[in-house]
Amino acid sequence: MKKTTVYPFTAIVGQENMKLALMLNVINPVLGGALIKGEKGTAKSTAVRALADLLPAMEAVRGCPFRCDPQDKSDMCEGCLAKVEERQMLTSHIVKMRVVELPVSATEDRVVGTLDIEHAIKHGEKKFEPGILAQANRNILYVDEINLLDDHIVDVLLDAAAMGFNTVEREGVSYSHPAQFVLVGTMNPEEGDIRPQLLDRFGLSVMVAGEHQTEQRMEVIKRRLAYEQDPENFVKQYQKEQEELGQRIMLARQLLPQVAIGDDLLALVAQVAIKLDVDGHRADITTIKAALTLAALNGREKASLDDVKRAAMLALPHRMRRKPFEEGAFDYEEVEALFAQQ
Amino acid sequence: MGRNFVFPFPAVEGQDPVKKALLWNTVNPLIGGVLISGEKGTAKSTLVRGMAALLPGMKVVELPLNVTEDRLVGTLDLEKAIKEGKKVFEPGILQKAHGNILYVDEVNLLSDNIVNCLLEVSASGVNKVEREGISFSHPARFILIGTMNPEEGMLRPQFIDRFGLYVEVKGLEDLNLRVDVIKRRLKYERDPAAYVGQWLEKAVEIKEQIALARDKVDLVQVSENAVRLAARIAEKENCAGHRAELAVLETAKAIAALCGRTYLTVKDIEEAAGFALPHRVRQKSSASVCLPEQDPQDDGTDAGQREKDTESPEEGRDQPNSEQQENHNQGRDMDRGGDSSTRNSEPDSGENNHEESAAAGENDDDIQEPGEIFIIKPLEIKPVDRRKRRGSGKRSKTITGPEHGRYVRYTFPRGKLRDIAFDATIRAAALFQRERGKNGLALAIRNSDVREKVRERRTGSTILFIVDASGSMGANQRMKAVKGAVLSLLNDVYQKRDKVGMLAFRKNTAELLLGVTRSVDLAQKKLRDLPTGGKTPLAAGLCLGYELIKAVMLKDPDAIPFIVVVSDGRANVPLTGGDPVDDALRAARKIAAEGIKSLVIDTERDYIKLGLARKIAEAMKADYQKLDELEAGRIACSVKGLVR
Repeated sequence: MKKTTVYPFTAIVGQENMKLALMLNVINPVLGGALIKGEKGTAKSTAVRALADLLPAMEAVRGCPFRCDPQDKSDMCEGCLAKVEERQMLTSHIVKMRVVELPVSATEDRVVGTLDIEHAIKHGEKKFEPGILAQANRNILYVDEINLLDDHIVDVLLDAAAMGFNTVEREGVSYSHPAQFVLVGTMNPEEGDIRPQLLDRFGLSVMVAGEHQTEQRMEVIKRRLAYEQDPENFVKQYQKEQEELGQRIMLARQLLPQVAIGDDLLALVAQVAIKLDVDGHRADITTIKAALTLAALNGREKASLDDVKRAAMLALPHRMRRKPFEEGAFDYEEVEALFAQQ
Repeated sequence: MGRNFVFPFPAVEGQDPVKKALLWNTVNPLIGGVLISGEKGTAKSTLVRGMAALLPGMKVVELPLNVTEDRLVGTLDLEKAIKEGKKVFEPGILQKAHGNILYVDEVNLLSDNIVNCLLEVSASGVNKVEREGISFSHPARFILIGTMNPEEGMLRPQFIDRFGLYVEVKGLEDLNLRVDVIKRRLKYERDPAAYVGQWLEKAVEIKEQIALARDKVDLVQVSENAVRLAARIAEKENCAGHRAELAVLETAKAIAALCGRTYLTVKDIEEAAGFALPHRVRQKSSASVCLPEQDPQDDGTDAGQREKDTESPEEGRDQPNSEQQENHNQGRDMDRGGDSSTRNSEPDSGENNHEESAAAGENDDDIQEPGEIFIIKPLEIKPVDRRKRRGSGKRSKTITGPEHGRYVRYTFPRGKLRDIAFDATIRAAALFQRERGKNGLALAIRNSDVREKVRERRTGSTILFIVDASGSMGANQRMKAVKGAVLSLLNDVYQKRDKVGMLAFRKNTAELLLGVTRSVDLAQKKLRDLPTGGKTPLAAGLCLGYELIKAVMLKDPDAIPFIVVVSDGRANVPLTGGDPVDDALRAARKIAAEGIKSLVIDTERDYIKLGLARKIAEAMKADYQKLDELEAGRIACSVKGLVR
């Protein structure tokens, strides 16, 4: 079968913040995903889909519907865990991390999984049929137009995202499996808001706008036309860049566990969080994690003040205390000033 | 089950009230659980899960939001039925939860049907199952623990009452503590196993503490005086029912047991009251306006009474702790302060009627900042008919058509079959498998077995705000109060996932500020920037509103339309040249004729009351409320914050 081509990630013009937020999440999957807000036609979906090409390979248990990590007992599904406990060898294979899409029209049973009807009718036995959350384990879960998602789907999504586990108690089946995914959502703010609770689950957020310089805009058009005319050739042109970026991400993943951060910077972040009066502690934690990941991406073993600043710009804007109606505008200058005071 | 590591309970920085409430519950299951409410990212769920590791002989059973009724209460065992033709009960979550902790994350998002089941069972302590030919009952006593973010809406009062205790959490404000939170989390994530190991000693310590206290809790004596004190506190706070006192006493027992005592002190009871009462303070029903103002003297005597009480309890020699009492008075004062300040900003001036000569105000547009936002009495919007509706939102519960909404239970199909409840169908067929010819399949299903899904979903309403922005509204900072009120309504709208539209009328026309959208934020911005000034073309406003809502009804028949008119009713611009008030009344009647529900908020606050808004409301068959009355909810709600 002919592989369908995807527009290369490196060929996207501009939109540096968005690209950065996505890359950071690939390097550090516990960062908490990214929300991309922006008008139509700003390469939001293109970027997320293009990400697939850069995703690293990982080891997974063969035949496991959840692609459990054979090395990590803490997040295994029941099946794999039972095997480990019986001292069976788990055979593993290498799979690529991928982007799993959650369509806005998805029904709850398909999202969380449900009774396998076919199995029940043919064999008279109950069996759990995994849903999208199962597919999403250890992968990226992408929801386009996330603000249009049905409320009750959002609820179960939140539930799973919070626990890292999907517990299913429905239609006669009772099942629980790991569901750790990088949640990536895109939305057009004109179409309505997203609930603060869901908003907070996103590690990072970026606002994208169309490029405003004529040259940049022309470049966008040129590349798009070139791609549409001859996708394969276009992809080939960017192959080298893609490989380099993939390599850089791999290295960053390896480096990440060694990256350290000074106590002064921790205190600084906490102070900014207090000053900005953000809800809860997720803001601080995510800012630091993003700063560490940024340092790793740049091949450094220590996070710098600049890393922290950059990270704050990605991790804080959607966390400004926003009772539904308080002005929630994120003031970049104010944050800049807060950092400068120190 | 996987999830071998959870963030250790003792490693959670701060949040002592939550920790305490959880510990007390494990020591004394009779307390009846705890509801943890607070902003996101404050370790609510982390603590509950962490606690599971500390429990001797108990486990935490999770109730996921996706639960269906059959899994909650239990049902026919499918496999046994098909293979052996036997009717056997397959236990659900409630049986698993018996003697354990039942934990619901985001408990305020649970479907109504499930909440009903929970209420019934937790009231009786027995789960009776009568379904699918099964008749079975088993004891189901459990500690109910729920976490919720109040921004997403509140719980029903009966349900709230089921929780023994109530705690609010907030993020930590202290810099050093915050830094610690980050550090601990990072360490945990780098190597969960090692981190859990580090805290093992501490965890074991707590475990032993719990075990010791559990042995002791039944020995704790509850004296007559203690009971009286608990009852008095509960009565004073106007708590509904008697569960409050019981929860106070049981909690106090746990506190004493944890301290290694077998007697209660006044302090125990007062500490317990701080947790057991806040959610039980009775909300005034929407009929009565506000809490009967207690005069301070009353407080005084009461406090005296209490002090007398505290002198005579058993061994309780602790100082009579009047802190709580003080808090009270403070809270109440603050409340009054707030109230009077809003009133003061409106010095009832005699210079009314200046809007009648409105031409003068033509150019002095002014934009007033919105006033204080408060919690309002919820709008009651019910669908008039029982049509199936689609659409999302949380205002009104409605049964939805196929493929939309949450599958909660099954029913017998009526008419054309569209949405088969496979699990229920198979269960229905299962019992007859031995007698039926199967054509090589494992299961033969006949028409009589087929069941259909019942899905539930809340439908939002479409609420159109028609705001008077004429000069009369600009007088005396009135617009400030109006903006505050409308913002408060919008707050409610957000929680219920309604759609909103907004139009304002002033000078000579009505203008659409915001087409119908789900973006409550936009509505809020438009409102904030709304200038006032000019005459009052009320009729034009109503007509435009009418047209708009008609269009919405055509486009989206599932939407439940609702109109909110905010005005003093002093129309002075006619539609075409007739009498301005008559025109407005005519427009109002048109809206009433369409059966559109509506609410008129009367902003008239002048000495000379013309009562025009009331007339408009009558013509529109609308509910009528004065601006000040709308704020009544605030008084009832602020009371909740007092008992701390």
